Amino acid sequence: MAKQIRFEHDGKEYTLEFTRKSIETMERQGFIASDIADKPMTTLPALFAGAFLAHHRYVKKELVDEIYSKMTNKQDLLSKLAEMYNEPIQALMEEPEDAVGNVKWEASF
Amino acid sequence: MGGELLESSSSPSYTEIFYEHFPFYLSIGMTYDQYWNDDCLLVKYYRKAHELGKQQRNQELWMQGLYIYEALCDVAPILHAFAKPGTRPLPYSEKPYPLTKEEAVANKEAEEKAARAVAKAKFEAWAASLKLPEHKVVNADGH
Repeated sequence: MAKQIRFEHDGKEYTLEFTRKSIETMERQGFIASDIADKPMTTLPALFAGAFLAHHRYVKKELVDEIYSKMTNKQDLLSKLAEMYNEPIQALMEEPEDAVGNVKWEASF
Repeated sequence: MGGELLESSSSPSYTEIFYEHFPFYLSIGMTYDQYWNDDCLLVKYYRKAHELGKQQRNQELWMQGLYIYEALCDVAPILHAFAKPGTRPLPYSEKPYPLTKEEAVANKEAEEKAARAVAKAKFEAWAASLKLPEHKVVNADGH
Protein backbone atom coordinates (compact mmCIF):
# COMPACT_ATOMS: atom_id res chain seq x y z
CA MET A 1 0.00 0.00 0.00
CA ALA A 2 1.21 3.50 -0.83
CA LYS A 3 2.59 5.76 1.89
CA GLN A 4 -0.02 8.01 3.46
CA ILE A 5 -0.29 10.65 6.16
CA ARG A 6 -3.50 10.57 8.21
CA PHE A 7 -4.80 13.16 10.64
CA GLU A 8 -8.00 14.59 11.99
CA HIS A 9 -9.09 18.22 11.79
CA ASP A 10 -12.35 19.61 13.11
CA GLY A 11 -13.75 16.12 13.52
CA LYS A 12 -12.97 15.08 9.94
CA GLU A 13 -10.46 12.41 8.94
CA TYR A 14 -7.95 13.34 6.23
CA THR A 15 -5.68 11.04 4.24
CA LEU A 16 -2.82 12.58 2.33
CA GLU A 17 -1.40 10.60 -0.57
CA PHE A 18 0.11 11.18 -4.00
CA THR A 19 -1.15 9.44 -7.11
CA ARG A 20 0.29 9.85 -10.59
CA LYS A 21 -2.70 11.97 -11.51
CA SER A 22 -2.20 14.33 -8.56
CA ILE A 23 1.49 14.75 -9.45
CA GLU A 24 0.54 15.41 -13.07
CA THR A 25 -1.96 18.06 -11.90
CA MET A 26 0.64 19.67 -9.64
CA GLU A 27 3.26 19.79 -12.41
CA ARG A 28 0.69 21.25 -14.79
CA GLN A 29 0.13 24.00 -12.23
CA GLY A 30 3.87 24.77 -12.14
CA PHE A 31 5.17 22.60 -9.33
CA ILE A 32 8.79 21.53 -9.87
CA ALA A 33 10.13 18.59 -7.84
CA SER A 34 13.70 19.89 -7.70
CA ASP A 35 12.48 22.99 -5.83
CA ILE A 36 11.89 20.77 -2.79
CA ALA A 37 15.66 20.73 -2.22
CA ASP A 38 16.31 24.34 -3.23
CA LYS A 39 13.39 26.19 -1.68
CA PRO A 40 11.89 23.83 0.88
CA MET A 41 9.93 26.38 2.90
CA THR A 42 8.13 27.88 -0.10
CA THR A 43 7.58 24.50 -1.73
CA LEU A 44 6.16 22.77 1.32
CA PRO A 45 2.72 24.48 1.26
CA ALA A 46 2.30 23.53 -2.42
CA LEU A 47 3.44 19.99 -1.72
CA PHE A 48 1.05 19.79 1.23
CA ALA A 49 -1.84 21.09 -0.87
CA GLY A 50 -1.01 18.62 -3.64
CA ALA A 51 -1.27 15.73 -1.22
CA PHE A 52 -4.97 16.56 -0.80
CA LEU A 53 -5.74 15.99 -4.48
CA ALA A 54 -5.92 12.19 -4.27
CA HIS A 55 -8.60 11.90 -1.56
CA HIS A 56 -9.87 15.42 -0.90
CA ARG A 57 -9.80 17.12 -4.29
CA TYR A 58 -12.59 19.56 -3.49
CA VAL A 59 -11.30 20.89 -0.18
CA LYS A 60 -10.92 24.67 -0.47
CA LYS A 61 -7.46 26.24 -0.54
CA GLU A 62 -8.30 28.38 2.53
CA LEU A 63 -9.00 25.26 4.56
CA VAL A 64 -5.82 23.55 3.33
CA ASP A 65 -3.81 26.64 4.30
CA GLU A 66 -5.49 26.71 7.70
CA ILE A 67 -4.69 23.04 8.33
CA TYR A 68 -1.13 23.61 7.13
CA SER A 69 -0.64 26.48 9.53
CA LYS A 70 -1.66 24.22 12.39
CA MET A 71 0.59 21.31 11.40
CA THR A 72 3.42 20.70 13.85
CA ASN A 73 6.97 19.52 13.11
CA LYS A 74 7.09 20.90 9.58
CA GLN A 75 10.64 19.72 8.92
CA ASP A 76 9.56 16.10 9.33
CA LEU A 77 6.38 16.79 7.41
CA LEU A 78 8.45 18.03 4.46
CA SER A 79 10.67 14.95 4.43
CA LYS A 80 7.67 12.61 4.64
CA LEU A 81 5.80 14.46 1.90
CA ALA A 82 8.89 14.41 -0.33
CA GLU A 83 9.19 10.66 0.25
CA MET A 84 5.52 10.20 -0.62
CA TYR A 85 5.88 12.42 -3.71
CA ASN A 86 8.69 10.24 -5.03
CA GLU A 87 6.88 6.96 -4.44
CA PRO A 88 4.77 6.89 -7.65
CA ILE A 89 7.88 7.29 -9.81
CA GLN A 90 10.02 4.91 -7.77
CA ALA A 91 7.37 2.22 -8.16
CA LEU A 92 7.90 2.41 -11.93
CA MET A 93 11.62 1.79 -11.69
CA GLU A 94 12.78 -1.81 -11.63
CA GLU A 95 15.05 -2.79 -8.77
CA PRO A 96 17.99 -4.85 -10.05
CA GLU A 97 17.86 -8.52 -9.14
CA ASP A 98 19.84 -9.38 -6.03
CA ALA A 99 22.94 -10.78 -7.64
CA VAL A 100 26.69 -10.83 -7.34
CA GLY A 101 28.14 -7.56 -8.61
CA ASN A 102 25.34 -5.26 -7.42
CA VAL A 103 26.72 -2.32 -5.47
CA LYS A 104 25.43 -1.99 -1.92
CA TRP A 105 25.47 1.49 -0.41
CA GLU A 106 24.35 3.32 2.71
CA ALA A 107 24.06 6.96 3.78
CA SER A 108 25.38 8.41 7.03
CA PHE A 109 22.52 10.90 7.49
CA MET B 1 27.96 20.36 -6.49
CA GLY B 2 26.19 18.08 -8.84
CA GLY B 3 23.16 20.36 -8.80
CA GLU B 4 23.66 21.14 -12.46
CA LEU B 5 23.01 17.48 -13.22
CA LEU B 6 19.70 17.49 -11.35
CA GLU B 7 18.57 20.78 -12.82
CA SER B 8 19.46 19.91 -16.38
CA SER B 9 16.69 21.21 -18.61
CA SER B 10 16.82 17.94 -20.55
CA SER B 11 15.72 15.83 -17.58
CA PRO B 12 12.10 14.81 -18.06
CA SER B 13 9.38 15.78 -15.61
CA TYR B 14 7.61 13.14 -13.54
CA THR B 15 4.56 13.56 -15.76
CA GLU B 16 6.61 12.80 -18.88
CA ILE B 17 8.01 9.66 -17.26
CA PHE B 18 4.51 8.59 -16.21
CA TYR B 19 3.26 8.98 -19.78
CA GLU B 20 6.31 7.15 -21.14
CA HIS B 21 5.53 4.09 -19.01
CA PHE B 22 1.77 4.29 -19.37
CA PRO B 23 1.39 2.22 -22.62
CA PHE B 24 3.31 -0.70 -21.13
CA TYR B 25 0.98 -0.91 -18.13
CA LEU B 26 -2.05 -0.62 -20.40
CA SER B 27 -0.65 -3.52 -22.42
CA ILE B 28 -0.43 -5.75 -19.33
CA GLY B 29 -4.00 -5.10 -18.27
CA MET B 30 -3.96 -2.04 -16.01
CA THR B 31 -6.80 0.38 -16.52
CA TYR B 32 -6.42 4.14 -16.93
CA ASP B 33 -7.94 4.69 -13.50
CA GLN B 34 -5.71 2.13 -11.78
CA TYR B 35 -2.55 3.65 -13.26
CA TRP B 36 -3.36 7.29 -12.63
CA ASN B 37 -5.64 7.33 -9.59
CA ASP B 38 -5.18 4.12 -7.62
CA ASP B 39 -2.47 3.06 -5.20
CA CYS B 40 0.81 3.98 -6.89
CA LEU B 41 2.40 0.67 -5.86
CA LEU B 42 -0.11 -1.33 -7.90
CA VAL B 43 2.30 -1.20 -10.85
CA LYS B 44 4.75 -3.46 -8.97
CA TYR B 45 2.13 -6.18 -8.61
CA TYR B 46 1.09 -5.85 -12.24
CA ARG B 47 4.74 -6.24 -13.27
CA LYS B 48 5.09 -9.33 -11.06
CA ALA B 49 1.84 -10.77 -12.42
CA HIS B 50 3.08 -10.08 -15.95
CA GLU B 51 6.31 -11.99 -15.22
CA LEU B 52 4.34 -14.94 -13.83
CA GLY B 53 2.06 -14.86 -16.88
CA LYS B 54 5.09 -14.97 -19.19
CA GLN B 55 6.54 -17.95 -17.29
CA GLN B 56 3.19 -19.75 -17.47
CA ARG B 57 2.93 -19.07 -21.20
CA ASN B 58 6.46 -20.37 -21.69
CA GLN B 59 5.57 -23.54 -19.74
CA GLU B 60 2.46 -24.04 -21.87
CA LEU B 61 4.43 -23.65 -25.10
CA TRP B 62 7.02 -26.11 -23.83
CA MET B 63 4.28 -28.61 -23.01
CA GLN B 64 2.75 -28.11 -26.43
CA GLY B 65 6.16 -28.85 -27.98
CA LEU B 66 6.36 -32.01 -25.90
CA TYR B 67 2.93 -33.19 -27.10
CA ILE B 68 3.90 -32.50 -30.72
CA TYR B 69 7.18 -34.35 -30.22
CA GLU B 70 5.36 -37.34 -28.76
CA ALA B 71 2.80 -37.32 -31.59
CA LEU B 72 5.62 -37.31 -34.16
CA CYS B 73 7.38 -40.18 -32.39
CA ASP B 74 4.12 -42.15 -32.23
CA VAL B 75 3.40 -41.73 -35.90
CA ALA B 76 7.05 -42.20 -36.97
CA PRO B 77 6.80 -45.97 -37.64
CA ILE B 78 4.34 -45.47 -40.50
CA LEU B 79 6.28 -42.55 -41.95
CA HIS B 80 9.23 -44.82 -42.61
CA ALA B 81 9.67 -45.25 -46.37
CA PHE B 82 10.42 -48.95 -46.01
CA ALA B 83 7.95 -49.71 -43.27
CA LYS B 84 6.57 -53.25 -43.34
CA PRO B 85 3.01 -53.64 -44.56
CA GLY B 86 0.55 -53.51 -41.67
CA THR B 87 2.76 -51.23 -39.56
CA ARG B 88 0.62 -49.16 -37.25
CA PRO B 89 1.36 -45.94 -35.41
CA LEU B 90 1.98 -46.17 -31.67
CA PRO B 91 -1.02 -45.12 -29.60
CA TYR B 92 -1.02 -41.48 -28.45
CA SER B 93 -1.25 -40.79 -24.70
CA GLU B 94 -4.76 -41.40 -23.43
CA LYS B 95 -4.54 -38.56 -20.93
CA PRO B 96 -2.74 -35.24 -20.73
CA TYR B 97 0.57 -35.27 -18.84
CA PRO B 98 0.12 -34.72 -15.12
CA LEU B 99 1.14 -31.26 -14.02
CA THR B 100 1.29 -31.85 -10.28
CA LYS B 101 2.76 -34.58 -8.08
CA GLU B 102 -0.72 -35.38 -6.72
CA GLU B 103 -2.07 -35.76 -10.23
CA ALA B 104 0.82 -38.08 -11.13
CA VAL B 105 0.21 -40.26 -8.05
CA ALA B 106 -3.55 -40.38 -8.73
CA ASN B 107 -2.91 -41.37 -12.37
CA LYS B 108 -0.52 -44.14 -11.30
CA GLU B 109 -3.01 -45.47 -8.74
CA ALA B 110 -5.79 -45.46 -11.34
CA GLU B 111 -3.56 -47.37 -13.80
CA GLU B 112 -2.66 -49.94 -11.15
CA LYS B 113 -6.32 -50.36 -10.21
CA ALA B 114 -7.29 -50.88 -13.85
CA ALA B 115 -4.46 -53.43 -14.30
CA ARG B 116 -5.64 -55.34 -11.20
CA ALA B 117 -9.21 -55.38 -12.52
CA VAL B 118 -8.02 -56.80 -15.86
CA ALA B 119 -5.90 -59.48 -14.10
CA LYS B 120 -8.85 -60.42 -11.87
CA ALA B 121 -11.19 -60.71 -14.85
CA LYS B 122 -8.67 -62.90 -16.68
CA PHE B 123 -8.22 -65.14 -13.68
CA GLU B 124 -11.99 -65.53 -13.23
CA ALA B 125 -12.40 -66.35 -16.90
CA TRP B 126 -9.61 -68.93 -16.65
CA ALA B 127 -11.11 -70.43 -13.47
CA ALA B 128 -14.52 -70.68 -15.08
CA SER B 129 -13.04 -72.52 -18.06
CA LEU B 130 -11.61 -75.25 -15.85
CA LYS B 131 -13.77 -78.36 -15.42
CA LEU B 132 -13.37 -78.83 -11.71
CA PRO B 133 -15.37 -81.59 -9.89
CA GLU B 134 -18.43 -80.19 -8.19
CA HIS B 135 -18.33 -79.95 -4.40
CA LYS B 136 -21.10 -81.83 -2.66
CA VAL B 137 -22.38 -80.35 0.55
CA VAL B 138 -22.67 -83.05 3.17
CA ASN B 139 -24.80 -82.32 6.17
CA ALA B 140 -24.07 -83.62 9.69
CA ASP B 141 -26.79 -86.26 9.40
CA GLY B 142 -25.00 -87.74 6.37
CA HIS B 143 -27.51 -86.63 3.73
